[in-house]
Amino acid sequence: MSCLWVLILYFNAMKIFTALLLFFVAASESHAEIVVIGNVKNNIQSLNSAQVEDIFMGRTRSLPNGHFVLPVCQSTLRPEFYQKLTTKPIEQINAYWAMLAFRGQISQPIEYPDDNSVLSVINENRDAIGYIDSRHINNSVRVLLRLN
Amino acid sequence: MIKIKYHVAPFLLSLMPFVSDVAMADNKLSSWSLKGFGTLAATGTDTNKIGFYRDKSQTQDADSGWGITNDSQLGVQIDWKADESLQATVQWIARDHAGNFFEQNLDWAFLRWSIQNDVDIRLGRLGVGVFSLSDYRNISYAYPWIRPPHEFYSTIPYYHIDGADITKKFSIDDGYLSIKLYGGYSYNQLPTQSSGVNNQQSPATGANISYEKGAWQARLGYTYATITSNPPIQDLLTPINSPLFTQYWPDIKQLIPAMTMRGKEYHFGSIGLAYDDGIWLSQMEAAYIASNTLWSPPRSSAYLSIGRRISTVTLYSLLGIAKTFQNDVNVPNPLVPNPTLLAYQRQFSRTLNNNGINEQSVSLGTRWDFYNNMALKAQWSHYWLGAHNGSQQWQQSVSNTTPNTVNVMSVGIDFVF
Repeated sequence: MSCLWVLILYFNAMKIFTALLLFFVAASESHAEIVVIGNVKNNIQSLNSAQVEDIFMGRTRSLPNGHFVLPVCQSTLRPEFYQKLTTKPIEQINAYWAMLAFRGQISQPIEYPDDNSVLSVINENRDAIGYIDSRHINNSVRVLLRLN
Repeated sequence: MIKIKYHVAPFLLSLMPFVSDVAMADNKLSSWSLKGFGTLAATGTDTNKIGFYRDKSQTQDADSGWGITNDSQLGVQIDWKADESLQATVQWIARDHAGNFFEQNLDWAFLRWSIQNDVDIRLGRLGVGVFSLSDYRNISYAYPWIRPPHEFYSTIPYYHIDGADITKKFSIDDGYLSIKLYGGYSYNQLPTQSSGVNNQQSPATGANISYEKGAWQARLGYTYATITSNPPIQDLLTPINSPLFTQYWPDIKQLIPAMTMRGKEYHFGSIGLAYDDGIWLSQMEAAYIASNTLWSPPRSSAYLSIGRRISTVTLYSLLGIAKTFQNDVNVPNPLVPNPTLLAYQRQFSRTLNNNGINEQSVSLGTRWDFYNNMALKAQWSHYWLGAHNGSQQWQQSVSNTTPNTVNVMSVGIDFVF
């Protein structure tokens, strides 16, 4: 009988241990949430991930409202942004953009070093689209898509 | 990438008065950017009996003494964006190319207007887009192999055209359909079998349609070109027109129309399919080139490549085949079997019947993206050269017969900046 109790205790302990382990693994792996942002003067309220992918993979030059889009990248978040958006690693994205840019089709989105500089570009340009860490959102921009 | 940006640089607008009319109220960025690409690669073969060219715009071939000129190059591109609809681009590449080093290596110099969101017009010097990879053959970083498939791409050593193109994109069923029309004038300096350069001029026009959806991409292309110049064949024409030949070998003049290039035509037709899901990648193209010139006979060519990515390493295989279709040119007999004339007959026959392609190959290679914007590549290619494989894609040796097989090995580093 006591043997059974020991087993039950053991399994419960294992469950708690596994849960704790999973929690810490998840916590250590959780990256910042990336949000795709646009200018508040733009009438676009949201974009889906296919629309954002078309813009950042250079397949379209325009927003759904027909305006020319000005996509901008945030250098440190760029690998994670493209991984979440396209599931492809940054090496493949770089090779793809080299093909587009060096055959003169479309220019690669300009890269900015941090969230603040992306925020200011978005503020200054009505049709700009960029992405930043969700913790740095402020009221001057509109969140168009959240990438988890 | 190095980017130099100016936020509405006032001096720029004063330098370029024509852009001052462009409304810039909505997006305030005008910008310059400087970027580039390059490859440093060593290529060698297992024989000195024949020399290997990436394509026949090159002056140096590779043999068992390894060389770096075959696959190495350095390109620089400057883009100037006036506003969202007007951009200028110049791209120049340092590489081994016959003729004028500056002019022949200027592959792009154009103005691009995006007159609507999905319509682009470009005017100026443009990359030649006959096949899928044609206008980025030098951007080795953008594809898995060390060089574009030899059977398919070495046959067209033309890189640029002065003219215009227009591209219209349609969004269809979660994919994009793109239609491009282009036309212009192509001036290419190509090496000749003897010393000297063939200044080849040809107006060309063409169209291609491509459809991209998910991991798939399909392409259909057609180009028509006429040749408006003649190759440097004076060393053949001078004896033919001499009094000795006129008297003792009048029939030889029948060959002159076949030897000229002016007025001859090319039709390039191709079909391509590519797949890339991030892990597996595959690409194939098939082409038929119709022509009525004996220096570049009609031919078909195709390749198939399959690759698999494992983290930052890509392993790939590549099969290629190219074959020309042309009957041998029959050089008529002289009236008298004079030894000098018979020697000329053998030389004419050799020269006029040395333009075939009969080549197959298998390649295995790897690409390792070992660092940001850099890739290390190694490739082994085994070529089978069949009967009538001539000098179009290889450098033949005067003293040796063409070997049946050649192994070509290459290692290189690609980069973009």
